[in-house]
Amino acid sequence: MSSFQLEIVTPTKVSDEGQVEYVRCPGLDGSFGVMASHREAIIALGIGEIKVTQNGKDHFLATSGGFTEITKEKVELLLETYERTEEIDTSRAENALKRAEERIKARETDAIRNKAALERAVNRLRVSKR
Amino acid sequence: MANLKDIRNRIKSVKSIQKVTKAMKMVAAAKMRRAQERMEEARPFENRLTDTINHLLPDVDRDLLELLDIREINRIGYVVVTSDRGMAGSFNTNILKTAQNEIDIIGKNKVDVFCIGKKARDHFKRRDYHIISSHVDFWSELEYSNAISICEGIISHFTDKHVDKIHVVYNEFINVATQHVQSEVLLPLVFDGDENQFSGKLYEPNKDDIIKSLIPRHLNIQMWKYLLESYSSEQAARMLAMENATENAQEMIKDLTLEFNKARQAAITTEMLEIVSGAEALKG
Repeated sequence: MSSFQLEIVTPTKVSDEGQVEYVRCPGLDGSFGVMASHREAIIALGIGEIKVTQNGKDHFLATSGGFTEITKEKVELLLETYERTEEIDTSRAENALKRAEERIKARETDAIRNKAALERAVNRLRVSKR
Repeated sequence: MANLKDIRNRIKSVKSIQKVTKAMKMVAAAKMRRAQERMEEARPFENRLTDTINHLLPDVDRDLLELLDIREINRIGYVVVTSDRGMAGSFNTNILKTAQNEIDIIGKNKVDVFCIGKKARDHFKRRDYHIISSHVDFWSELEYSNAISICEGIISHFTDKHVDKIHVVYNEFINVATQHVQSEVLLPLVFDGDENQFSGKLYEPNKDDIIKSLIPRHLNIQMWKYLLESYSSEQAARMLAMENATENAQEMIKDLTLEFNKARQAAITTEMLEIVSGAEALKG
């Protein structure tokens, strides 16, 4: 299978993932896949799971969003934060989930913020079980 | 003249303080270097994000973006970035002085304050300013999520129209010896928006929504930069303060040693006199 260059850029590091065959990203309105020779694009990403296929093996990342820029040479994921499956601290995520649920139940102000926190926690827990 | 034992004790205590200040200087230097590395690391992300926003902005209806909204100014928000700890020379004093001056010119009751760092919180709390939120005790484990959570509060305060403009006052790191107090406008955001060149790119979901999701992230990275600038400045200021303290201690040790030697010499002289005059008396 033909492959392409993948780079992940975050505010704290730039990591070169090397050649990969496939990337699936959480777009704002649904997941999409990218394979080699994709059309050039800029796509916004939301909270969700990123799947990367490298040498036939799948890896999963949990992200809080960002955007991706696809060019002829490479695919760049510009993510605010991301964690690999093995990096996720499940107990922390569970606590965050509990906290967010309680806040929503108590109908605290800032419903949007609480909902986003909940989404992030659920997402991280899901990816951690991959 | 002070007696020998007292002087010896003072020398000992100054020496041990000197050891502490020396160690603190070294720690500050290491922390400063780390913070500068992080500033370097943040740059690629920031540049790419700004480029993309500038690239998309000419095609987007600005009225859709509440964070670019220029309103008539009734209330102003001030974000004041200080440290949690002192011992950094005039680092916090400068910031607080500048911030307070600016706020007092506008009028204390027209300003909402966001305090970052214990020093800002204590300062403005004591003087009864209108504090919206304080973020303290995170500097030692500074992470990107701190920038995000600080920004969340600031953004919602602005979009809920409690304030019409937000300023940030922070220390900009120029080099180890110089840090400048900066006061910048954080919101509403201003972008130049470069000349739009036609490109056959695909935009998903569409340019408006991309911009809408990217602008808050741009604010987060901006906040991250302010935090890092301030942290580097703090460490640089502390480094310098500790170096001065170490030098002063050295000076004090020198003076005390001189005094000690004089006192000892005087004691010996008196003793000799006593012996000699005693011998003289026996002869007599």
